Amino acid sequence: MKLILSDQDIRIFEHSPAPLDQILLEQSINPLEVIVSRNGKLLPEDTVIRGSDEVRITRIAHGG
Amino acid sequence: METEGVQRTVPVCSLCTEQAVVYQRYINRHLCGTHFTADVEHRVADTIKTRQMISPQDRVAVALSGGKDSTALLLLLQRLLPTWENVRLIAITIDEGIAGYREETIRSAEHLTVRLGIEHHCISFTGLFGDSLDAFLTGRETQACSICGILRKKALVVGAQQAGATKLATGHNLDDEAQSVLMNVFRGDLPRLIRNSSGESSGKFIPRIKPLSLISEKDIATYLMLNDAWNELPECPYTHYAMRREVRSMLSGFEYRHPGTMLHLMESKIKIERYCKGSVISEPLRSCRECGDPCSGDLCQVCLLRHTF
Repeated sequence: MKLILSDQDIRIFEHSPAPLDQILLEQSINPLEVIVSRNGKLLPEDTVIRGSDEVRITRIAHGG
Repeated sequence: METEGVQRTVPVCSLCTEQAVVYQRYINRHLCGTHFTADVEHRVADTIKTRQMISPQDRVAVALSGGKDSTALLLLLQRLLPTWENVRLIAITIDEGIAGYREETIRSAEHLTVRLGIEHHCISFTGLFGDSLDAFLTGRETQACSICGILRKKALVVGAQQAGATKLATGHNLDDEAQSVLMNVFRGDLPRLIRNSSGESSGKFIPRIKPLSLISEKDIATYLMLNDAWNELPECPYTHYAMRREVRSMLSGFEYRHPGTMLHLMESKIKIERYCKGSVISEPLRSCRECGDPCSGDLCQVCLLRHTF
């Protein structure tokens, strides 16, 4: 499984198929503070992610 | 193109057979891109109508920082514009003078207004107050958000007045509003908790409206991405000094574990406002003894601040 948080932060690890929100919480990421996409398509947080998946995580919360 | 196996892992829209892009946890509903976009636009239109935010002939000044919330606000109001009678939109951008941050968001605001064909005014702290926010904050960075907030609010009012606006719309979202409720409670500031500057002003100030106040930050970002309007922009360098940052993180955790928490906070605020209407807690509107601006005390926040510079 490959999580791309930014060009500098790419996390690759083994994981059995699991809901996206569970994977995010394991990485200390609140699912409400990010938007996740796979192949350019946005994913609901209860999507099941598989070991071979590559997902992009975009943080949304910032001041200004 | 996704494989058949992967497609089965993505939930389907609760209203059609398309693949869902969001899960609305507080009502246990999945929506596809088309139904989600329609849902956000419906909720914003409903908030504006229910709270009587916009009237026929209004000239609405939209506070456009160029960030995600104000970008979504301008896009949504532009889309809803044909449903109102003879209403005009103007965009106002404030250049606080934050080096390495504001330049990019101002460019984003300029591009958006040109694309939408909306009149755009820019007001700078240097032009209005004599110096940049960076200069004002030297040695007092921990007060950044309160100082910036006071000066930015004044600059927006000046911009709205110059543009002949009858309403001033800001992009405060549900997360912002729920955070403000908690912060005012933490500070024990009940007058500020129930202060309402959106209603009848008898001409003393331009009413401020917050059409996105029931739309979550995540919904706003999702709406922008689905409508090809999402921009990765830098974070304000002063946010790490803010109490709001701590409250945001705490509340966001609560919302995840207890869906609906932020909406419940807003409902509580509205109930408290009703109970306190006309009570001694509601501060009467006065005029600042130095500049004449409407305020709740002897001096307005801007004049109080000027004395400290």
